[in-house]
Amino acid sequence: MRIITGALFAIAVTSLAWLAGPASAQEGTKAQQALAQESVIEVIKRRGALRVGMSTFVPWAMRDKEGELIGFEVDVARKLAEDMEVDIEFVPTAWDGIIPALLAGKFDVIIGGMTITAARNLTVNFTDAYASSSMGVLANIELAEGMSWPDDFDDADVTFACRRGGTPCAYLQANFPKATLRQFDDQGQVLQEVLNGNAHATVSSQPLPAFTVYENPETVFSPTEELIDPGSEGFALRKGDPDALNFFDNWILVNRASGWLDERHDYWFGGRPWADQIAE
Amino acid sequence: MYPDPDRPRRVGAIDVLVLLVLLGAGIAIGLRVSDVLVYRWDWHFLPQVLVTRSDAGGWRPNLLLEGLLTTLRLSLWAMLIASVLGLALGVLATRVRLLARLVAFGYVGLIRNVPPLVFIFVFYFFISSQLIPVLGVDTWARSLGEGGRTAVAWLIGPPDLLENLLSGILCLAMFEAAYIAEVVRAGIRSVPPGQSEGAKSLGLRPVQAFRLVVMPQALRAVAPPLANQFILLIKNSAIVSLISVQELTFIGTEVAVSTGRRFETWIVVAAMYFFLCYALAWLFARMERRSRLAYAR
Repeated sequence: MRIITGALFAIAVTSLAWLAGPASAQEGTKAQQALAQESVIEVIKRRGALRVGMSTFVPWAMRDKEGELIGFEVDVARKLAEDMEVDIEFVPTAWDGIIPALLAGKFDVIIGGMTITAARNLTVNFTDAYASSSMGVLANIELAEGMSWPDDFDDADVTFACRRGGTPCAYLQANFPKATLRQFDDQGQVLQEVLNGNAHATVSSQPLPAFTVYENPETVFSPTEELIDPGSEGFALRKGDPDALNFFDNWILVNRASGWLDERHDYWFGGRPWADQIAE
Repeated sequence: MYPDPDRPRRVGAIDVLVLLVLLGAGIAIGLRVSDVLVYRWDWHFLPQVLVTRSDAGGWRPNLLLEGLLTTLRLSLWAMLIASVLGLALGVLATRVRLLARLVAFGYVGLIRNVPPLVFIFVFYFFISSQLIPVLGVDTWARSLGEGGRTAVAWLIGPPDLLENLLSGILCLAMFEAAYIAEVVRAGIRSVPPGQSEGAKSLGLRPVQAFRLVVMPQALRAVAPPLANQFILLIKNSAIVSLISVQELTFIGTEVAVSTGRRFETWIVVAAMYFFLCYALAWLFARMERRSRLAYAR
């Protein structure tokens, strides 16, 4: 008797589950479709153009003689738009307002050599790394000659300069608490501070320190060959968009496997074959 | 009371002396700067960032000149909107009705007491990011044909970055309107009450009296401060570079970073702003002189 009741009960529950099954699957599909429709990928396809936020920083992105944007990030963004079969629109944005501008919807994705950090990841989503970089040190010969890195630089008499909103500022604040830190709005001002001898040193993403030492060998030098704070760069996009994250991750995967990303990185960072394209 | 501005001008000994002193000071500063500043001056990049060959074979403006044109367009549109808004608010501030005066003083008080930079950030990130997508500016700009896009590019700016440009224009206009409202209010108050009484005794209705008798005198009285505000608007337009409008200051930063010639670029940008503001000041001085001759007291 109990076995029959149990069997009848089991059949009843299974048939109910079978009835409920297709309904919940349908709801699941509807929810999935709604999520997919909201994705920035769909927005880009509807619009017919990919809007990319970036900032000028040699050689990631800069202006050439014709006034057009060139650089590693520009190449990456152009290829991405080509693969998505849409037009490309660059939205040059001031760097320390670039994440708020992304969140405000001024563009779809940041492709600007943004280093992946936990603090930034709390506000935006990052794709997989498509490039890596490290920072280097640039120091004024007159002020910093003979000082050893990093111990002699953690001193109350030492002044650092950095670009507001960049990862070097955070690195300097964390590792050189005793030194004074001066923040500036753009990279040019930071380098000029060190060249003029108003700051002992600055930390900046390679290859900028290397280029500056090459151009001003009697004024500045590199106190260390150490690759400081090696980091990875990824695209930044708004949170809550799994489709876009998946698409960009796989685009990076494909282009890394094919060697295209490395080849472009070597072209822009490995030397200066592009130097005649910019007005100098 | 002051020397006749239309007298013939002659260059005297004092003029030459002052010029020599200024030249000497300039050279001394230049030498001192080149001692302190470790910098290699190089102006060869300048023609390339000003003009470049267009596809048709002629010349077209390049980066810095394009930035200058954007600043010009930005300032003109902001001036237009700010004048209309400022005029309306200034007139409201002199009304007898409390509501009119509250609106005017509320607007002026709110905006004048906030620094322009802070106002622009707040406006851009909180207000315009909600307002402009609702207006559908981006979809409209994309739906334009070739002719429409060229027209918009000539009148306002590149259609791709239209939303940002509109935010910048609105920001500047709202900011300047507060100051223009105060200037207009001062002008209206400076007209003697006998004028409006005389107009009413002639049988003009209050609105006509205001429009035909008080306002022309008020505006003529405050023409110099109004001109001042317009010139200030051009200089304040540099602030919208922080919301990434592609005007002269923003492009100046990009050129300075891309070419590495920082000081040369900034000197050229400063010179461009100077000539723009000077040209406007000269224009206003001419208008003032002509209006003074027409209504000689």
